[in-house]
Amino acid sequence: MIAYNTAWLDALLTKETAQEWHQKRLLSAEKWNTIQERNPANFYSPNVFVRIGLAIFCLILLMAVMGLAALISEPDSETGFSAFCFFWGVVWVVVLEFWSIRSARHRGSGIDDILLYTSTCMFLTSICSPLHYSTSMLTYCLIAWPFLAAGSIRYADRLMAAAAFVCSLLIVLLIVKDIPRVALYLLPFAGMLFSAGGWFFARQGQKRWEWRHWHNSLLVVELLSLLTFCASGNFWVVQQAGADLFGLEQVPMAGFFWMFTFMIPAIYISGGLLHKERHLLDMGLAAVAAALFTFRYYFHVMPLAWAAVIGGAVLFASAYLAIRYLRRNEGAYTYEAHAETSLLQEVEQQLFEQGIGAQNPPVSRQKESFGGGEFGGGGAGEEF
Amino acid sequence: MHQHILRNLLQQELIEPEDAEKIALFEEKKPFSLHWELKTLLYIGVLLLNVGLGFLIYEHIDSIGHVALIALIGAISAACFWYAIQHRRPFTMGKVDSPTPYYDYILLLGCLTFLIMEGYWQYQYQIFGTRYGLATFIPMVLFFGLAYGLDNRGVLSLGITALASWLGVTVSLQDLLSKNDLNSTVLVQTGVFLSALLAVIPFVSERYGLKKHFSLTYLNFGVHIGMISCLSGMMLLDQKAIYFPLLCAAVGFFLWYARTRGSFYFFTVAVVYGYIGVTYMLISFTSRMNFDFMFYLFYFILSCVGVILFLTNYKNFIKTDAP
Repeated sequence: MIAYNTAWLDALLTKETAQEWHQKRLLSAEKWNTIQERNPANFYSPNVFVRIGLAIFCLILLMAVMGLAALISEPDSETGFSAFCFFWGVVWVVVLEFWSIRSARHRGSGIDDILLYTSTCMFLTSICSPLHYSTSMLTYCLIAWPFLAAGSIRYADRLMAAAAFVCSLLIVLLIVKDIPRVALYLLPFAGMLFSAGGWFFARQGQKRWEWRHWHNSLLVVELLSLLTFCASGNFWVVQQAGADLFGLEQVPMAGFFWMFTFMIPAIYISGGLLHKERHLLDMGLAAVAAALFTFRYYFHVMPLAWAAVIGGAVLFASAYLAIRYLRRNEGAYTYEAHAETSLLQEVEQQLFEQGIGAQNPPVSRQKESFGGGEFGGGGAGEEF
Repeated sequence: MHQHILRNLLQQELIEPEDAEKIALFEEKKPFSLHWELKTLLYIGVLLLNVGLGFLIYEHIDSIGHVALIALIGAISAACFWYAIQHRRPFTMGKVDSPTPYYDYILLLGCLTFLIMEGYWQYQYQIFGTRYGLATFIPMVLFFGLAYGLDNRGVLSLGITALASWLGVTVSLQDLLSKNDLNSTVLVQTGVFLSALLAVIPFVSERYGLKKHFSLTYLNFGVHIGMISCLSGMMLLDQKAIYFPLLCAAVGFFLWYARTRGSFYFFTVAVVYGYIGVTYMLISFTSRMNFDFMFYLFYFILSCVGVILFLTNYKNFIKTDAP
């Protein structure tokens, strides 16, 4: 079912897990070496920066090849263009399967990623381009879904999994939107229900050993479903959607949605801490910011500058106190950095890899010039 | 997940049962780390405070309350610096770990509030008069001093940006007075000069063993300032004869650096900038020859295949045994 060599994927997984045990001195160096020897994985997976470079040049290459082919074959009719796109979709998927993955053993090299995305885009363009311009959004989503789902299953790709999740959510919402009369009331709950379903699916899936190769894709689905659950009942989202879709000025059940907006961060954070669910906790912190922004959008209780000062001070002080507490009281929670990394942390780490701004996130870019009588002597911030 | 892996390893007799028991116990009791979350909160807190205070001063510049505000900002800055000095670790030539987890962030807040305060003084009282250079020279000296004295790379990058604006200011303002127009040639030349300086500093420091871990910060600023200056020299000033060779030299330098130090980052960055430069040269040379569009497509195909082959064989190029 999966395109990559599963024995190697397993070997990678084993090594990753055993490496943490080795770092925590639970495995001797000798054992760790034997495990590495007995679990060979010969994927070509370059460093993240090389991967980005390869992706850029691979994309230019594919575009140039297709451009050249278009110049030569000149597909001038609608069917011709559709066939042209289909042909290249097939070509890229064949190159991906037989050259990139089988013979060159690429995995996450930038080249296999771009081949997969380009091929999917070509297939979708090929099917969608002959459609009439009045075709509904729902049709497009229904066409895209099988490709996105198949792509995320066969290549265990995170971006494809995210796209498939968003596409499924759109399908549900677009169907519910057209139910006469009750659509308005159903829409937020349909979003919540679908997100909750997505979350349980992702959580259960991550526990299944048979689905271990899709672990990272399921993590993405978990994060996204937490996000869309929070968004479905957020007052701002509901109000804007109501105004755009149904021309409503007043949100029905406003009280409920306000409560939801403020309850979600509390539920996420407490749930995250109690059950030691990192993604729930991280999304909870983001949800706090979302709730505050929503509140400020409707009630201007305080000038923005004061809000930023007080918010900053509160954040800084609470983090300071929490770190102090954690360092003095060792227990189930710790401030020590730890080998287990979540997806979000991985993103941050990859950005700062090789020590670029390792301990301090990069400082905002300053203006090069200092105009007379202007503020901001080399770094007070962009707003001046 | 880990139980399965543990069981598999046990079956393959790659680990001993007693090790497996220890591991299982460890996995069960593993503490939940809040490291990343709390660090992010600290960082966002510092940024929000800085933005908020800057805005406050800006909005209240003509009202009576601003004296109290500026006193508050000054007090914050002073308190941060006082904390940083009080808790500092003794100076060494090498890397020094932060004394406390929040140390770096408090120092950063001190530096940022210092900038707000200094900008305010200049605006309100013209303490530097028309000597605008001094307004960036002072923070630059302060930040470099703090970065080296307290070993902090965040403050070092603040210092480098102050250095850039100090050079930018002096040059462009003199031009402004003499020629009454901002000549971008000078800015590009300054950029090239600055990046050369930033690229030399790490080698001098490493020669004397002073703060070797600062090298990446210097070079990271150097690579982007230098390459962008060369490219804008080529494209905007249309002085290809000067800036294309300079760009080639810079690309060569960073490829050499990547090769000897095993840096994938500079490897990719140098290749991307170099490719942009070469492509621009080709297009501008052939623009009068009325080549068919197909010619360029062929160029892109062949050049991309070449670059991809070069990038995929990075292991042969970069000496991976280097740190």
